[in-house]
Amino acid sequence: MDYQIVVCAGIVPDPLQTLEPVAAATGPALKNEMMLPAVLDPWASHALYEAAILAKNAPGSKVWLVSLGPKAKLQQVMMTVAQKVPFELVALEGPASGFTEAAEVAAALAEAIQAIPGLDKSKLLVFGGWESASRGAGATLQMAGERLGITEQFQGVDQLVAGADGSLEILERIEGGRHQVSKCAGPPALLGWATGSLPEPKNNPQIGMANMRALMPALQKAKPAKLAGEGLKFLSVTLPKQLRATQIVKDKSPDAIAKEIAEWIKT
Amino acid sequence: MNEPEQSPIERPRMDADIVCVGFGPATAGFLSTLSKELLNSDGTAAVESAVAPGLPLQVLCYERADDIGFGVSGVVTKARALRESIPDIDKAGIPMAAPVGDEKVLYLLDPAGASRRPALLRLADGFIRACKWALPFEREALNLPWTPSFLHKHGGMVLSMGQFMQWVGGRVQSTGAVQIWPGTPVSQALIEENKVVGVRLLDQGVNKQGAPGEGFAPGMDIHAALTVVGDGPVGPIGQQLDTHFGMPENHHARDWAVGMKFVVDLPEDTPLKPGTVLHTFGYPEPEIFGFFYVHPDRVASLGIFVPSWFDSPVRTSYRYLQHWMTHPYLWGFLKGGKLRSWGAKTLGESGRRGEPQLAGDGYARIGEGSGSTNVLTGSGVDEAWATGAQLAGAVLELLKAKKPFTKENLDAVYVQRRRGSWLEQEARVAEKSRDGFQRGFVSGMIGMALAGLSGGRLVLPGKPLRPWERIPSLEDYFRGRIPAAEARKIRDDCYARGVSAHAALMERAGWPAIAYDGQLLVSHQDALLMGGKVQAPHGYADHVAFVFPNQCQQCGTKLCVEVCSGQAITPGENGVPNFDREKCVHCGACLWNCASASPENPERMSVAFRAGTGGAHSAEN
Amino acid sequence: METILLLAHADAGGALAKPAREALRAARTLNKAIAGSNLFVGLIGENVQAAADSIAACPATRYFGVAGAEFGQSRYCTDAAAAQAIIQAAQATLVVAPATSRWNRVLPGVAQRCGGRIDSHVTGVADADGQPVVNRWYYRQRMEASLTRTQRPWFMLIDPGSQEACECGAGAATVELVPVKLAEAGQRTTVVGIREPKADAQTIRPDAPLLFVTGAGWTKKQADGQAHVEEAGKLIVDFLKLSRASLGSSKSLVDLGGEGQAVLPFLSHLNQIGQTGSTPRHAKGLSTCCHGEEPHTVGWRFIAERRAISLDPNCGWARGKADVLYVADAFAVIAELNKLLG
Ligand SMILES: Cc1cc2nc3c(=O)[nH]c(=O)nc-3n(C[C@H](O)[C@H](O)[C@H](O)COP(=O)(O)OP(=O)(O)OC[C@H]3O[C@@H](n4cnc5c(N)ncnc54)[C@H](O)[C@@H]3O)c2cc1C
Ligand SMILES: Cc1cc2nc3c(=O)[nH]c(=O)nc-3n(C[C@H](O)[C@H](O)[C@H](O)COP(=O)(O)OP(=O)(O)OC[C@H]3O[C@@H](n4cnc5c(N)ncnc54)[C@H](O)[C@@H]3O)c2cc1C
Ligand code: SF4
Ligand code: SF4
Repeated sequence: MDYQIVVCAGIVPDPLQTLEPVAAATGPALKNEMMLPAVLDPWASHALYEAAILAKNAPGSKVWLVSLGPKAKLQQVMMTVAQKVPFELVALEGPASGFTEAAEVAAALAEAIQAIPGLDKSKLLVFGGWESASRGAGATLQMAGERLGITEQFQGVDQLVAGADGSLEILERIEGGRHQVSKCAGPPALLGWATGSLPEPKNNPQIGMANMRALMPALQKAKPAKLAGEGLKFLSVTLPKQLRATQIVKDKSPDAIAKEIAEWIKT
Repeated sequence: MNEPEQSPIERPRMDADIVCVGFGPATAGFLSTLSKELLNSDGTAAVESAVAPGLPLQVLCYERADDIGFGVSGVVTKARALRESIPDIDKAGIPMAAPVGDEKVLYLLDPAGASRRPALLRLADGFIRACKWALPFEREALNLPWTPSFLHKHGGMVLSMGQFMQWVGGRVQSTGAVQIWPGTPVSQALIEENKVVGVRLLDQGVNKQGAPGEGFAPGMDIHAALTVVGDGPVGPIGQQLDTHFGMPENHHARDWAVGMKFVVDLPEDTPLKPGTVLHTFGYPEPEIFGFFYVHPDRVASLGIFVPSWFDSPVRTSYRYLQHWMTHPYLWGFLKGGKLRSWGAKTLGESGRRGEPQLAGDGYARIGEGSGSTNVLTGSGVDEAWATGAQLAGAVLELLKAKKPFTKENLDAVYVQRRRGSWLEQEARVAEKSRDGFQRGFVSGMIGMALAGLSGGRLVLPGKPLRPWERIPSLEDYFRGRIPAAEARKIRDDCYARGVSAHAALMERAGWPAIAYDGQLLVSHQDALLMGGKVQAPHGYADHVAFVFPNQCQQCGTKLCVEVCSGQAITPGENGVPNFDREKCVHCGACLWNCASASPENPERMSVAFRAGTGGAHSAEN
Repeated sequence: METILLLAHADAGGALAKPAREALRAARTLNKAIAGSNLFVGLIGENVQAAADSIAACPATRYFGVAGAEFGQSRYCTDAAAAQAIIQAAQATLVVAPATSRWNRVLPGVAQRCGGRIDSHVTGVADADGQPVVNRWYYRQRMEASLTRTQRPWFMLIDPGSQEACECGAGAATVELVPVKLAEAGQRTTVVGIREPKADAQTIRPDAPLLFVTGAGWTKKQADGQAHVEEAGKLIVDFLKLSRASLGSSKSLVDLGGEGQAVLPFLSHLNQIGQTGSTPRHAKGLSTCCHGEEPHTVGWRFIAERRAISLDPNCGWARGKADVLYVADAFAVIAELNKLLG
């Protein structure tokens, strides 16, 4: 069975960057947002790699990457992922900020997916990260899925096994370090990925060259998404007061430290 | 140097018309100029590809860092070549850019009393202190009332290398005419019968030693009619070509410096205006020069250079940078500030004397690795850009005339262009200007002034020594400050704990301890994390290697450990240092900070600095 | 007028789990703050009566339920239909629900179906001039926002551990059962079962008072120039057994496997805390051999008391993030600690 896999992946600041909120005219934003190096959202990248493997093992399949962000940043991030796996980009112009409303982003993504020429819902798998490193909500994919009429949805996915009969066995993360195992008859389905089990694919210049043909035109065609934050009002955005008065204990023996910790654990 | 052995593995191959190594200012100048001419306004090919007939010229650029704009530099620049390529650069809205405003050169006195000042300098210090009421003197610094014009940058710009490169990279790529691939190091040039036919990319899915492991993906061979080498002062491809083709007569790259910088959020009440440019000398050691440039929005780039002619077996840049920042003059501006970014990088200071063969069959060299940086004026970005733009002009000329990229043709169009330009004239003035430093700091300063003011006609002679020839022993270096046995013991104790020794030795020699504040004065590791956000992707070989372990076993100084900008090199078993790829910032200092010569080439030392991925993840440096 | 609906699922035994009671607390907070609001309860499960009875003493005035075998399982299509039916029957405007894996999966989609909006990772509810306000996190627990919305129904997924559980007592509740018609197309997924972690020992214990975090230092070369991974593994496992702590890990440590280095066999990505891991809630946390920069520290956001053992007195983790940093060899300290606990 062949699949049409659409991966929704936003871009986020490289996780090691220092983030600070500021108040902008349009609502909260990140300080120096445009200056921070960006990466494809970590969980969504896993989704992309899983999509590529699935497509590779199911000849005739195809992968699209739908991404909403400022064009210049999207272009830059694409150069760091386009050598990894084959995909066709569908770009949407708009802020990549975590403060944009999930429901509105979902509407824009669903609209873009629906507009993909030749899309066949009976083969459609919508992939993405179960949460993003920006909005951190874990809500966007489900809403996009609803708009596309997909009622088989899975979140926190760590594994997908496609059966010969077209069925999908899916492992989702649940509480206590356990997994729920479900079997889905087949597409259309939506999967929000957690870590997955694949290492990051290696850079392959040939894949890069091939992706590139459609990349620049897709960026040029990127339509602005409507993101008005309607009905939503931020009262404040603050960094947690994370500075603690750390007591540094330097000259105690392991025995003494162990004793102290044992007491602390017990109280 | 040991080339990685030619393996029999099957390598995939791809063909392009032009392949570039590294995306620094030089390649940016090249691609900016070239990309403008490759497509017609309707998107059709203005210059047709030889490898993909019907399509436009296929131009690829491979950059080793994980993203473009992760480089490290000052930057203050006169921006002559930049403006020629980008006439609207001043109004382009490049983040962190500001027109140069107030310029000052400051002589820093030694408030710590630990600096190794020659007698003459101490005399001068005494005189300055005695007459300070009559001099422009404040907070232990003398503001030089007059500075020679060759040092001035007025009319120029203060930039962030990272932000500028991101901006330029985006602009160049959006033309659709060229592709720039970050995170993709070039491991070597492909040379067939003295002709460069392309490049090989780095193997992936290998262990630390480079042996294939899980997910092995052999580096691809990219064949191209022209290979443009712009991999900077310590680039492995430049090194390979220097070894293979040899340097021109009497040319050698022996003068180096490692520049280390902080990007800082200045305190809210800072009196410093955007565009302010401060240069310092005299402290923490006379050989160490400092820079302090102010960007818009209360942000500053500041740092120091630790040169190869600062003859110390325990030279370090991080610790000295902290002492420099806490000098009363600078601390007056920095107190209350916050670290945003940090980085380090080697500066090739040999200038024209380090110029390699600029072109050969199938290749051309541009940028600092081609000897373009001017040490007299302290300028490298504009010069690197200029060489790239010149090469692009030459390449277009050859393409249009349908002439091949032979040495002869490249000499005629590229090298000649370069020779006839301001770049060459100024490089000649600068060529021997710093030779005086070979004999000490004071003669060095006099020599620089002489050369600068006489247009290069007057120089103080001095023969540049090879870096490894000038490293004194620990005992000699600390003579009169720390008894030899004690110095050795301090060092041995540190090495037994697996850490470098310079901090302990410096403190014993009178340098004050650093009062960490968690904001600006942070541990070296925190500078890597909070500032550089240093990281390394899995599955690549170690790019720093100790290729003559027996020399390391006998080495008494372990200069590599002391200098390492990332604490990535640490004392190891049997005297052979360890290397931790995840901490390396690719500054390249280990390439020239080694106390023993390579048995294969006296211009090289015992450390191999090869192509590798990872490093800082900051686009502000 | 606001109608506040606590939406919960009954667990297999028909009881209400703690996160549901915590969400109930949030619902009651809103109910108190918003004059004239209604408080209803909606329950989904194989059986819901027992769950309803268990909180019958709370001030909720109506109980809605969807019951049946297919609703005893966590599955998007059935859960979505059930939740939608209850919300519509209750005409809820504010839907307050525990952020369990089951609700996290389905409620955003239900919000979309009902034409509403949703906030997840909510850690606080309050009111501003009689209007509901939520506190939630952005950028993976790196910054906290307080916000309000005009759209209804407004869904709020309450992070477990962020509220005190409501202790209201049991009684007899009248549950209005809401019928749900499942279209055939909506039954394409079967729940096969639950898979326990591969490792012999259960290492993730959300209810443990102590989180024990291990960093890459455990696998690094020690003072004798050697790595002691096996010894480290034994120390850690013994400590977990003795202390009943939950095991967390830095990303570096779980990633090491990817570099072909020896790693601790009982660790997986599920243990990873931090920006690309989890942000668990425990009263105490003990960090060992971690350096701990920002993406890691994110994993500590909801750990109240924090102590660390590291060889590096200047590590970023020490400065302002831990309450106490012991500069010591974790191997020695944990060995000693195990003796004391044993
Ligand atoms: C701290 C500091 C301050 C400075 N201040 C100033 C200043 O104020 N003004 C000024 O004009 N100049 C300054 N310079 C000098 C200036 O930065 C350099 O001269 C300039 O960057 C040289 O440009 P380049 O393109 O030749 O090389 P680089 O900037 O070194 O670029 C080379 C590129 O090649 C990449 N590369 C290397 N090896 C490989 C490989 N194997 N495969 C793929 N890619 C590779 C590198 O990652 C890099 O991006 C400063 C330098 C330093 C270190
Ligand atoms: C995209 C991205 C996402 C990330 N997400 C996460 C995330 O979700 N979670 C996370 O944790 N990190 C995350 N990070 C990585 C994170 O920034 C750090 O790299 C990582 O947490 C560091 O791991 P560490 O502290 O275990 O190891 P190290 O930095 O190697 O520190 C080891 C420490 O152990 C100490 N040590 C060694 N031996 C001993 C001993 N015997 N006794 C005591 N101390 C000892 C050493 O002194 C050192 O301080 C992310 C990074 C990126 C780039
Ligand atoms: S590389 Fe070896 S020889 Fe060179 S300084 Fe380091 S230890 Fe000494
Ligand atoms: S090992 Fe890396 S960080 Fe250290 S000196 Fe060499 S290049 Fe610089």
